[in-house]
Amino acid sequence: MAEIISVSDLVLVYSDGTKAVDGISFSIKKGEFFGFLGPNGAGKSTTIKILTTLLKKTSGTVTVAGHDVNSGASDIRKLIGVQSQETTVDGDLTGRENLMLQGHFQQMSGEVLKNRVNELLRLVGLESAADKRARNYSGGMKKRLDLASALVHKPQLLFLDEPTTGLDPQSRNAIWAYLERLNKEDGITIFLTTQYLEEADRLCRRLAIIDFGKIVASGTPMELKQEIGADSIKIALENCERDKTRAKELLESLEGVSEVVYVGPEECLNVFAKKAGPLVADIVRAFDSSEIRLLSVTFSSPTLDDVFLRHTGRSIRTEELVKAPSQMPGGRR
Amino acid sequence: MGLFSDTRYLFVRYLKKLIRNPILLFFSLFQPIIFLLLFTQLLGRFSSIPGFTEATGAASYAIFATAGILLQNAFGSALQSGTSIVADIDSGFLQKMLVTPVNRYAILLGRLLSDAFRVAVQSIIIIALSFLPFVGVTYVTGVPGVLLVLFIIAFFGLAWSGISLAIGMKTRSSETVFAIGGFITFPLLFLSTALVPLSFQPEWIQTISKFNPISYAVDAVRVLMISGYDWSTILQAFGVIGLVGLITLSATVYQFRKVVK
Repeated sequence: MAEIISVSDLVLVYSDGTKAVDGISFSIKKGEFFGFLGPNGAGKSTTIKILTTLLKKTSGTVTVAGHDVNSGASDIRKLIGVQSQETTVDGDLTGRENLMLQGHFQQMSGEVLKNRVNELLRLVGLESAADKRARNYSGGMKKRLDLASALVHKPQLLFLDEPTTGLDPQSRNAIWAYLERLNKEDGITIFLTTQYLEEADRLCRRLAIIDFGKIVASGTPMELKQEIGADSIKIALENCERDKTRAKELLESLEGVSEVVYVGPEECLNVFAKKAGPLVADIVRAFDSSEIRLLSVTFSSPTLDDVFLRHTGRSIRTEELVKAPSQMPGGRR
Repeated sequence: MGLFSDTRYLFVRYLKKLIRNPILLFFSLFQPIIFLLLFTQLLGRFSSIPGFTEATGAASYAIFATAGILLQNAFGSALQSGTSIVADIDSGFLQKMLVTPVNRYAILLGRLLSDAFRVAVQSIIIIALSFLPFVGVTYVTGVPGVLLVLFIIAFFGLAWSGISLAIGMKTRSSETVFAIGGFITFPLLFLSTALVPLSFQPEWIQTISKFNPISYAVDAVRVLMISGYDWSTILQAFGVIGLVGLITLSATVYQFRKVVK
């Protein structure tokens, strides 16, 4: 299969000196569902902005749908659909008018556009609200309208920047179902960024984990999880701050342990191991003969959060609360 | 083809937004209408000062001041124009347009034309009110004169909305656009021939008045109402507005290119 996106050594430095993207390389094949997983401020949106011709790269080579992003920007714009992180529908216009306008931007008109708009309204379940002003839509409806407007010209490549951030679980599930259909039935290549592990896990057939502008790991969700050792054991201590160093040494000395990572004062330690089952008993016994008191030992199959933790030393969940710095014109990136 | 059709679609978008928010029209019309209906009555006896009719050719103060009020309206609403582009930047709608093949200059042109159109619509309302008996405006040049007046005012509005758009794109703050607009409207209006004839002004204001672009536009509208097709005044007005427009629209295009990159 042909590559539809290829990026090598991409760097972006903002005018204030912030290096938002720090030498990343990856490629996406036609028909793939590819994701960037990372916390706020990791460089996900910046990368999307470069790929969608909104932002000029500092250095590196970027080809989208066969065109260079610098010299072929106007060709790229005809072939891609983009849904940005913030929902951008014109509240003064109706849902239908929003889609018609977007179609006009894509140089469509007449019956072809009218039929396409009806088709999309049906697809995202907005037929009955089509002629109401978008201002009165719920958050989920606006997101669906926004998604539809990115699809109006039947793009071969769809960019979605955090498509479900801020949505309730029900709306999120609905969006996920549309995206899976678009990718499977219509063969649209999708590049998605997300800070939600479940989203990356469920949708992306391949993903890259990005942190501080660098790709720290990539592969299928399964590969990534297997790579870190089959299982993980979460260990909570009665006095984590006091005992963490000694507990870590103790755990590392046990046979079968591949890595021990400190998570935080609440969750304390995370043990990665090839076979966790027999190890649980060893751990309990080892702590029993020391004066460190265990609070709980939880055994689990690895999640993408464990993958993130393993590669960055931090949990992605705690990162969600950190506010991203804003230095993009308009305060977004 | 792209520029023309894209401009039309965006013009229609702005028009729909305007019609669906009539409160905005009401608010920007409120002040000029108060001036037209109250201020001119308040200063009604101004016209009995010896020399007023000789200096202005107007039979009443209301007739004299209407030209100024028309320009005040154009000026005031043009200076709000920048807030709409700030709204599009803030909401991300501008970016949404920029990832499509839409013609870049259509975004600006659609905006400017709709501003000019809005000024024309507001002016028609004020002109209609100025025909009320107690205001008593008439046009010696008839319907063609009224159309030419509308054209001058729309052109004037277009030139001034440039400055507002440039400020909007530079500061990305609606508050700043409003503040600067409100800040310069009255000083520029009072230092012109909009509300007081030149020969009645203190000397230092006369000096400023003579260079104030508003004076030129007001004088052109006034001759079309009162004395007839005085082409030298009218063409001078077009020249001055054209010059202002060239400067403000260059600033707008410069800022716009920075936004679009």
